[in-house]
Amino acid sequence: MYQGSYRITRLLLCFIISSLPMSSLQAAKPDRRVYENEVLKLSVTPRTPQQMAAFYEGRGFPSEAIALTRTACFFTIGIHNKSRDILWLDTANWKFHTTTGPLKRISRDEWKHRWQELELPLSYQSTFRWTLLPARLDFQPDEREGGNITLPRTDKPFSLRATFATGVDKQGPRIDVLMEDLRCAEDKP
Amino acid sequence: MKKLLLGIMLFVCSHSLLAEDLSPPKGVIAITPRPAPPLLLQNMDGEKFDLSKAGKQWAFVHFWASWCGPCRREMPTIQVLIAELAGSPLTFAIVNTAESDDTVFSFLASVAPEINSLMDYDGLVTEAWQPRGLPSTYLVDPQGTIRYVVIGGQAWHSREYQDFLRQLTRNGK
Repeated sequence: MYQGSYRITRLLLCFIISSLPMSSLQAAKPDRRVYENEVLKLSVTPRTPQQMAAFYEGRGFPSEAIALTRTACFFTIGIHNKSRDILWLDTANWKFHTTTGPLKRISRDEWKHRWQELELPLSYQSTFRWTLLPARLDFQPDEREGGNITLPRTDKPFSLRATFATGVDKQGPRIDVLMEDLRCAEDKP
Repeated sequence: MKKLLLGIMLFVCSHSLLAEDLSPPKGVIAITPRPAPPLLLQNMDGEKFDLSKAGKQWAFVHFWASWCGPCRREMPTIQVLIAELAGSPLTFAIVNTAESDDTVFSFLASVAPEINSLMDYDGLVTEAWQPRGLPSTYLVDPQGTIRYVVIGGQAWHSREYQDFLRQLTRNGK
């Protein structure tokens, strides 16, 4: 009896999950979030301070620079333009909000200022820049690009609202993405 | 009159055949031509390379870094491409962005040991070219104008890409 009801529950869950619409937010992995429709696939993966430290340490970054990366909240973004038209990325319209107010993204300029204060050699500054998501890009058909976005660390959940224009002249249908309950990843104890 | 018309038709048709409209393979995008930024670097042996003095021929300019996954997959195909197109009027400038000799040496030794990369140690040359991301490839014509950009990593060892580059350099446009 117990096994029978378990099987029915599993079947029910499978039915519910399989009937979700495609243009939906998917929990592909516990941490990774994915938005996908016929035009855009957007993935957002939180990275722990340790993951980012290990990456930059592997690139030979000095310890002071790595310490600075630990103060930020990193997300690796993946974007795929699945359409035959242009898809426009502009991170200036990406808005992050906690329940108490906006969360301002750490911009490229701000990182540049931080690295200059630290007198970080240009090679490391360059490498860091190239690991960031482009601020603006006209995604060509089938183009995939990615990179990191960074926020001040917070233990509060927050939302991301991102808008993508489409079409050569940006006059095509707009894509609005809302992801809620995002969280900065923490190192495992 | 008929002979004149026939002559004109033959001229137009032959000119069209000779023009050979190039159809770029997947990922190769024809762009609004713009002058290529300077590219003056040296490789790990200290040999200097100046794109402006590379001779009146097409150039394949490629930016990469060892930490980028698509770069790792693409580099062996570029090695094959260079070997297959040896002797053709195509200059190769393979540029590492902002890494050390040790990093580049270790990386290339494992994925493409025949390639001797140019070294953009401080990343400033790469910055000037403004790639869309890494890896990025540009095709620069004999007049020093960027005519094509390549989106992401491609299978340069395949016949489709090699034929395109052969045709490009053969036309000499």
